[in-house]
Amino acid sequence: MSFSLGHSRLEALLESAQLLHSSLNLQDLLSHLLRSVMGRLLVTKAFIAVSEDGCMRLAQVRGLPKLKIGDAYHESEVRENGIRIILPVGDENSPVGYLGISQPIQKDADSDELEFLRALLGLAAGGIENAKAHSKANKLNEELDQKIQELKTLLDLVRGLTSSLEPDEVAQLLMLTLSGRWAVRKYALIAWKSGHPPVLRFKGMNPDLLAEFSSYKNTIEDLPDSMKVSDLPESSLKNMLMEESAEVLFPIKAGDRTTGGIVAIGGRPGNLSYSESDLDFGTGLVAQAAVAFENAWHVREAIERKKVEQELALAATIQENLFPSSLPILSNYEFSARNRPARQCGGDYYDILPVGGVGSEGTFLVCVADVSGKGLPASLLMSNIQATLRALVGRVHSLTELSAHTNELLYAVTPSNKYVTAIMLDIDINTGKVRFVNAGHTSCLLLRADGEAVWLCATGTPLGMLPGMSYEEQSFELLPGDLIALFSDGVTEAQDEDENEYSEERVAEFIRTIAGESLDNIVDKVFEEIDRFAGSAPQYDDITLFIIKRKA
Amino acid sequence: MSNPFAINTSVQDGVTVITLEGFVDAHTAPHFENAIQAEIGAGRNKIVVDCRKLSYISSAGLGVFMSFIEEVRDVGGDIKICGLVPKVRHTFEILGFQDIFEMHDEQSTAVDRFQGN
Repeated sequence: MSFSLGHSRLEALLESAQLLHSSLNLQDLLSHLLRSVMGRLLVTKAFIAVSEDGCMRLAQVRGLPKLKIGDAYHESEVRENGIRIILPVGDENSPVGYLGISQPIQKDADSDELEFLRALLGLAAGGIENAKAHSKANKLNEELDQKIQELKTLLDLVRGLTSSLEPDEVAQLLMLTLSGRWAVRKYALIAWKSGHPPVLRFKGMNPDLLAEFSSYKNTIEDLPDSMKVSDLPESSLKNMLMEESAEVLFPIKAGDRTTGGIVAIGGRPGNLSYSESDLDFGTGLVAQAAVAFENAWHVREAIERKKVEQELALAATIQENLFPSSLPILSNYEFSARNRPARQCGGDYYDILPVGGVGSEGTFLVCVADVSGKGLPASLLMSNIQATLRALVGRVHSLTELSAHTNELLYAVTPSNKYVTAIMLDIDINTGKVRFVNAGHTSCLLLRADGEAVWLCATGTPLGMLPGMSYEEQSFELLPGDLIALFSDGVTEAQDEDENEYSEERVAEFIRTIAGESLDNIVDKVFEEIDRFAGSAPQYDDITLFIIKRKA
Repeated sequence: MSNPFAINTSVQDGVTVITLEGFVDAHTAPHFENAIQAEIGAGRNKIVVDCRKLSYISSAGLGVFMSFIEEVRDVGGDIKICGLVPKVRHTFEILGFQDIFEMHDEQSTAVDRFQGN
């Protein structure tokens, strides 16, 4: 640096040097530089260009209405606009910028003045570098803040989602989080799973849009994880989204096509756009929510299953009450019965009713019936036959009439593949005379006191299967010591692991060996024996056993 | 394990003041949302959210502000924020909320702004 700068110039240089190095704000610094130069050299046009990411751009312009800050710097262009002197800021070979001025008005830019200018720009170069580094650090810090905020947001959402058991809560959390993160006021979400009402949430957008989304159900899987609405192929959906000022779309993808959804988000304030990193972030949040939706649907289904189970349990209790709560206690007869359905509700039924009405103990109607099918449908029909029999008993004159009537009534209300097999006995307890009708039911056992087994075989078709059927009534005399075992085919057809059936022979043989015991014991032991026989094979059918014994 | 959170609502001169305390995060944001929803549902659209005792707000919490601002401004109301401590204010500013919401240091200033003076 030459000493020819003179006292006043040195002073000005010192002042500028202090200022240039005390400010870290690039724009403040540049405008100070420009003011100093324009004031000292008395010029009316000036600019400063600064290199930014490898490109020289105009950072400050004075008196150059055609040039705009931010435009790329072209020497020819600034010269066309009246700039006469252009000097590099900093090292000539790789300048951090350029300063240009028009022709000084009053005096020639003499060599001393240019020398001063060079010295000033040399000083400024350091200040500009500092300020740029500072602004870059600030920018990095801001980006870091944004990233930290994103991480916090993700963590917060995940924490919140783990305790969200309702799909509505998941939707609420996701949309609050996204709208908060991007400061958006308009959004819409729909999430669906077949068999459930869809979950909707929207602000500032037309709910009709959501209905439009559902028509996109089948293509959800094919959409990318995120997309800008402007990139959507032309469609009515795109038009509608544009109309609602939606800017980005996130499909909610689950493992299969029975669940899914879409999130549409409106614009950000201040014309901020969505960067790739924003879309990635949104995709991450939506993916978390997709899992949470799945879980919430599962929980809801589990709750619904639980409800069904509770209703089934209630149905089972109601059905239990359809069986007689107690059996008659008579001096010369003994009764014992038990039913064990294969599922919660069953289709077997047994009953014992005094034919002359309650309190009259001359004749009893005993019945064991088996409804085709199992579970709830069978138990419905079981309750029907229970009501029918109880309504008819005592109002008809014979078992044949009772059977024919019941057949007609059941036939009228059931499809032909739903029917009931039943064995019905009329027992005159005074004489021991027993009449019976077997409507397509499994053969039941009459075990004489001397051990002889007699089978009470079918005397007609199942009830409710065919119209206009008549039923043959047969009879025998029950003698002291004789035993009748009525059962459903769940007894004789119980299977072991090798699918062998328990069989009529085994039933007869087993009961014969324990015929001397109390009837309750016999019933218990037959059930135990069936279970022993079946081993680990599951109970496939309802099991019912009703035993009658004439003691004297 | 949940963080402390409390919300209180009072009405002063026709302006609803909702005071947030503690942590507004994914767990507690729904309470905040319900509180604002209740005010708007009752036709009270002039709302000041007092954040003096707010120690943390997550994006979900900020989302509550965004969810209603359009609605209340459409009917001539507003949501104004007051008393942000520096740390929480920083969160608001990172996300650009200062361009959308009025922020005041004092609750009384925020309430007065609704009176048109």
